[in-house]
Parts: sequence; structure tokens; C-alpha cells
Amino acid sequence: MRPLNGLVFLIGTLLLLTPFSTTLAANLNEDPSEATVRHIAKDLRCAVCQNQSVYESNSDLAQDMLGVIRDKVQAGESEATIRDYFFQRYGDYIYLEPTKKGMNLLLWFGPILGLFIGAYALLAAFKKWKARGDDAIKPAEGSKSQAMQERIEKELNDIEI
Amino acid sequence: MKLSWKIILLLSILVILALFAGGLGNNPRDIPSPLVNRPASPFEAPALDGQGMVSLKAHLGKWVLVNFWGSWCVSCVAEHPYLMDLANIARSRSDFVLIGVDFRDTVEGANTFLRRHGNPGYRHALDPKQKIAIDWGVYGAPESYLVDPTGMIILKHTGPLYPGWFEKVALPHIEKKRTESGE
Repeated sequence: MRPLNGLVFLIGTLLLLTPFSTTLAANLNEDPSEATVRHIAKDLRCAVCQNQSVYESNSDLAQDMLGVIRDKVQAGESEATIRDYFFQRYGDYIYLEPTKKGMNLLLWFGPILGLFIGAYALLAAFKKWKARGDDAIKPAEGSKSQAMQERIEKELNDIEI
Repeated sequence: MKLSWKIILLLSILVILALFAGGLGNNPRDIPSPLVNRPASPFEAPALDGQGMVSLKAHLGKWVLVNFWGSWCVSCVAEHPYLMDLANIARSRSDFVLIGVDFRDTVEGANTFLRRHGNPGYRHALDPKQKIAIDWGVYGAPESYLVDPTGMIILKHTGPLYPGWFEKVALPHIEKKRTESGE
């Protein structure tokens, strides 16, 4: 009975792997141009769904945009030309990542600049606190604080534990 | 904290709040089209009525309103009565025509729509894979482009056209062009 068990196990394993084998084959057999299509479509925003790429979205517009990209890649157009085709029609908005040009530079480098300004301000503040801190350790003088000190001691003495 | 720092902090917070408040009023779907003031992309596609082709080129020399729609589009139903009026305006003028681009649609769907809501009479190009729509930078329906007699896109209107739109928006452009050309 042992060899039969092994055979059942083997067939079972192979059957379980079938769905994976087909997807793997699909990926291996895909047209080489499909990688370019994917690369372009991942950078383009699906115009109707705010924050999804044309490649990820299932919307009709994204599906048809993918079709247009595919046609253009197969027609031999370069990646830059295809990106520009969409840019000319939909503007800056079509790129998921803002281009590193003009006012967009503020988006890219503003936060880093802000971080540096914040770090500088914090450093300056630390220095100031440290300088002031040395004075603060010394007991405050003056009749008022003296009176306060006496009162605290009196109150402490009054507490019965 | 010195007073000057307090003022700077307060001002920065106010600026951020003002930008935020301003941004809230923006419509995320209202994206300016880079196609305005650029030559319209030519197209030639099978007509919905099954008789030959519909092209933009055929109307060169006239003002053309290209209306992108589909029978699946809810706002197009709201827009439709005004398109019927606009078709009448076009018939009464020699310098203005309408073309529909029925995209992502089927012939049966479009014909059912026109039977139910009325047929304005102008011709429609069929664009099932929305190739023309993408070529024209269309996001959704309805969207309309006003093209001048030389084939330049003068303006884009996103969303349904509304009663009085022609007189209020299109006519000033037509009149301006006419005075410029000295007619």
C-alpha cells in the first residue's frame, strides 16, 4: 500500500499546484512588450480614481488607457513619447509622482527643508534651555520665596502620617 | 518665547489654515485641460446612424461643439434637454454645429437613449474603446469642447451644459473672433 500512498500524494500535490502553474506560464509567455506597458501604466494616474495607477485600476477609463498604451508600445513608440502623449492631454495630473520641475520642486524638497529648519530651531531652543537651566538650579532668593519655603515646611510638619 | 516668534507661529498657522480652507472649496474633478488653445485632435469614426463616418475635419470653418456622452452616463440625461435646444440654435445659425462622441457605449444603448430622451438630430461618432475620448483628454461624461473655425480648442466644459450656456459662454467667443477677423 505504501507506493500507492506516495502516488496519491504526488497527484494531489500536482493538482494543488495547477492554478499556480497556469499563472506562471502566463507570465512567462507574455509578450516582452508587456513589461514596458506595465512600466508606463504604473506611473500614470487613473484619471477617475484619484490615487490609483492606470495599471492597478479596474475602471473603464484605465482599462482603455492601458489598451492605448499597449497599441502604442506595439507600434514601436518610445516610453517617453507615450508618457508625453498622456501629459499633453491630461496635464501634470496624469503622473502619479509629480514631475521634478518648477513649482513641484517645492513639493519634493519643501519637507526636507522644513525638517532642517525644525532641527535648527530645536537645537537653538535646547541651547537656550541649557543656558537658562544652570541659573534655575540655584534656589530663588527674595522674601517671597523665603516665606513660601517656610510655609511649605510648616505644612509638611503638620501632616500626620 | 519672544513676541516676534509668537507672531510668526500664529501667522504660519493662519496661512496653513487659509490654504486648507481654500483647498476644501476646490472640486477634485475640475482639472484644467492643457488642450485649451491648442489644435483639436482630428478624428474620423463610424457614425451612430450607420451612414458613413463622422469627422471633425468636415466642419472646418465653423464653430463646433464636440459633446462627449454615453447612454450609461446619468448626468447626460440631465444635460439632454439643453442639447435639444442647442441643436435648434445650431440649425438657426450657419456658423455653429454640434457633434456627439458616444464613447464606451453600444449602438443599441445609444439608440435606446435617443429614443427615450429625444433625438437632437445632429450626428454622433462611435467610440466604443474611448480612443477619441482619451485622445481628447476626457475624464468622464458629459464633457464638451468648443472648437473654433480654424480647429483650435477654445474651451472645455466639464459636466452637463446648462440652459443659457451658449449665450453666456460660447457666443462671446464667437463674437470676439468675428470682430477680430473684421467681418
